[in-house]
Amino acid sequence: MAADPSEDLATRTEGDPIATVDAGVPPLLRRLADSPEIGIIAALIVAVIVFTSINPLFLSVSDLQNPLGVDLAGFGILAVGESIVIMTGGIDLSVGSLTAFFVVGSAWLNVSEHIPVGFAFALTILAGAAWGLWHAFWITRLGVAPFVITLVTFIFAAGADEALAPNPITISSPPFLALVGSSVAGVPIAVVIFAVIALAAWFFLERTYIGRQIYAVGGNKEAARLAGIPTARRITLAYVASGSCAAVAGLIVASRITSGTADSVSGYELIAIAAAVIGGVSLIGGQGRIVGAVAGAALLVALTDGLVTIGVNAYYQPMVVGVVLFFAVILDAVRTRFRGRAAARTGLEAGKGAGGEPAAAGGDP
Amino acid sequence: MDTGGDLVLTGVRKLYGPAVVLDVDQVVLRRGEVVGLVGENGAGKSTMMGVVAGSVTPDAGTVSIAGQMLDSGGTLRAQELGVAMVSQEFPLVGQLSVAENLLLGRRPSDRRFLVDRRATYAAAAELLDAVGLRVNPRRRVDSLSVAQRQLIEIAKALGRRPLVLILDEPTSALGPAESERLLGFARRHAAGGGIVIFVGHRLAEVRAVADRVLVLRNGRLISDLTPAEATEQRIIRDMVGKDLLPEGELTEPEGDSQLAFEAIALAAPGLGPLDLAVRPGEVLGVAGLMGSGRSRLLHVVMGALASSGGKMRLAGVSYHPRQPTDAVAAGVGLVPEDRKTQALLVDAPIRWNVTLAILRRISWRHLLLMPRRERGEAAAIVNLARVRCRSAEQPARSLSGGNQQRMIFGRWMAAKPRLLLLDEPTRGVDVGAKAEIYKLIDEARKEGMAILVASSELEELMGICHRIVVLRRGRITAELDRSEFSKERIIAAAAIDLVAA
Repeated sequence: MAADPSEDLATRTEGDPIATVDAGVPPLLRRLADSPEIGIIAALIVAVIVFTSINPLFLSVSDLQNPLGVDLAGFGILAVGESIVIMTGGIDLSVGSLTAFFVVGSAWLNVSEHIPVGFAFALTILAGAAWGLWHAFWITRLGVAPFVITLVTFIFAAGADEALAPNPITISSPPFLALVGSSVAGVPIAVVIFAVIALAAWFFLERTYIGRQIYAVGGNKEAARLAGIPTARRITLAYVASGSCAAVAGLIVASRITSGTADSVSGYELIAIAAAVIGGVSLIGGQGRIVGAVAGAALLVALTDGLVTIGVNAYYQPMVVGVVLFFAVILDAVRTRFRGRAAARTGLEAGKGAGGEPAAAGGDP
Repeated sequence: MDTGGDLVLTGVRKLYGPAVVLDVDQVVLRRGEVVGLVGENGAGKSTMMGVVAGSVTPDAGTVSIAGQMLDSGGTLRAQELGVAMVSQEFPLVGQLSVAENLLLGRRPSDRRFLVDRRATYAAAAELLDAVGLRVNPRRRVDSLSVAQRQLIEIAKALGRRPLVLILDEPTSALGPAESERLLGFARRHAAGGGIVIFVGHRLAEVRAVADRVLVLRNGRLISDLTPAEATEQRIIRDMVGKDLLPEGELTEPEGDSQLAFEAIALAAPGLGPLDLAVRPGEVLGVAGLMGSGRSRLLHVVMGALASSGGKMRLAGVSYHPRQPTDAVAAGVGLVPEDRKTQALLVDAPIRWNVTLAILRRISWRHLLLMPRRERGEAAAIVNLARVRCRSAEQPARSLSGGNQQRMIFGRWMAAKPRLLLLDEPTRGVDVGAKAEIYKLIDEARKEGMAILVASSELEELMGICHRIVVLRRGRITAELDRSEFSKERIIAAAAIDLVAA
């Protein structure tokens, strides 16, 4: 296996029309340099080092009073679901409102309707999946714009939680509260759930053929359709995943605030979208990785919680977060640009070399 | 020999490093001639034009125009000797007006410092009139369309009253009517005693306008053809250095009695009812004018458009695709007409593009993608379809049009369909790539695939098909065997009856 793909071109004899393409796996370093996520992961590491050096307790996830892990679990799960939708070329604006709705809904099922915790959880997640199915139905059958149909849910669900429970429903069931209150090997259960969901999504998207088809649908829907990919089913899957993720996030938030309170969360959808986008999940669709979305969510949570930890005035926090986001996004744009140029250049050379044009003979040592 | 009024290139050579990009012994272009100059990209056309226009200094040889040597005087000397060039890029100044652009570098009156506006506009109006372009000479050039700018370029060149007018792919930005008008200028310029060098990619146009066709390949003059000799076939062969169509006779498909595909009274909105049958290893062409239902037929067979009646059978088994997924599962593949919108994942690597239609099959337990195996498959497909790239990880965007098309062919050849549908398989690829696509079609046929190919290029269909059906308004109006192929018959069957309309 040739280590350097460019060797192919160099060792080829003049006039040989066809390059033999090597089936080898590119080296790790090259893959790292090619990953759009690398910048955001670096930023995350810097942020963590800075905050920990100012306040050593910043990273103590095992401390159940420390909200870092649980915050990350909530936002991270939403970002994962949102990313899958964005990869298909869509958008899901409903996840924030749905999370708020399921905070109340799960508490209402368990406390007001006396449904056992396990069943209440299952019903909540099913309801989330069903809501995703509802979005997907209108998007794939009638061609309604994802932005519009999920905006409708955003508005509807924002009122529905108050209608369901005008007053906060206090959750007392120990298994419900254990979601955030208990831990496995020092890690809160919510964080474990988040890790499992993120890993599953990563595996699904990158290691199953269905995942690849989701990328293809986002990259070029008509091409995917004509290549025999059931595009409607793939899009449906993405919205169902996103709705389910909103339900799980709702359960975690409810467990954390120990009650089903209306208007408990707001603006979560924008944070989920921001996390996905700064993590390299392109809004055009067909691009990005779960690793990036998770890193994006982690960076956002680290910043907001970190600024509290080191005692920055609450008024300044959004501004600091905004500035950091700005740099993350600009860096990514610059990197994409350079990489695009490099790709165009190598493509040009490859085309020339293969075309047997005299000008291509310039590659001599 | 009197060459007083001619353009003569003698022993002109140009090297870039060790590479010879131009090497011609002698070329004489006479007054009154429109000379077509053709060749693949990189054949040396631009270099040769550059030498004549003075922008490229040859390493050896001489150029004389009307008996005067064009030494290394550069473009100014060439202009003095009467050379004007209309190039593919428009070196117009966008912020200046039409008139200012037309008369750039010249002054319509002899006032020394001030620009005489009235004289400028009058002279400009006259030039615009000559090319039949009706725009206000005061308009800024950047507010004009590409076609209008092209005409202004030509007006500008004509305004210098040149002896030698070089038109470098002048019609690439123009529509049919404008192109026709431009060919008219070329003819008139030659008729008035000038020399026109017409560099073109559209062979039909070159043949229509040129009194002689020069073919360049790898910097050398391969042939100098009279209009009678310059058939499209001949020009292409000289450009590419081999026959475009695969060598050897088109062998008949094996005597397999089982039909690969059959349509009985197939109908859809704007299509049919029509009957069709293709045997394994057979190439069936679909000809017809634009809007005759060629693409529609393929899309109905692919399940991308719903049929409204009739039956289809695939290898004898009833076949009713409701969406392309069903078609692919049953063994049908489609190389669509518009690569960019219907086939490519431009930002994804080549690997993703070539394995797209076989993802499930190459997955472990029909679920998990194994990276090593997928890379192996992708490399095999890339080599099979002869996609030229450094690695299958390159984005599809970085490939040339012909390469992208071969990549899409590879996608479907890997899927090994029973029936392969090709919609304009060589659209937008250059001549060399065309030859290779025909070779791929030939290979697919030899593997026993039945092929249904729709194309607007009759010569293409007549070259690669066993049979051709002609569509008119969605119905079959003729079915021709290879021995009956003729352009006239196909056109007659395809043409809409104008008298009746």
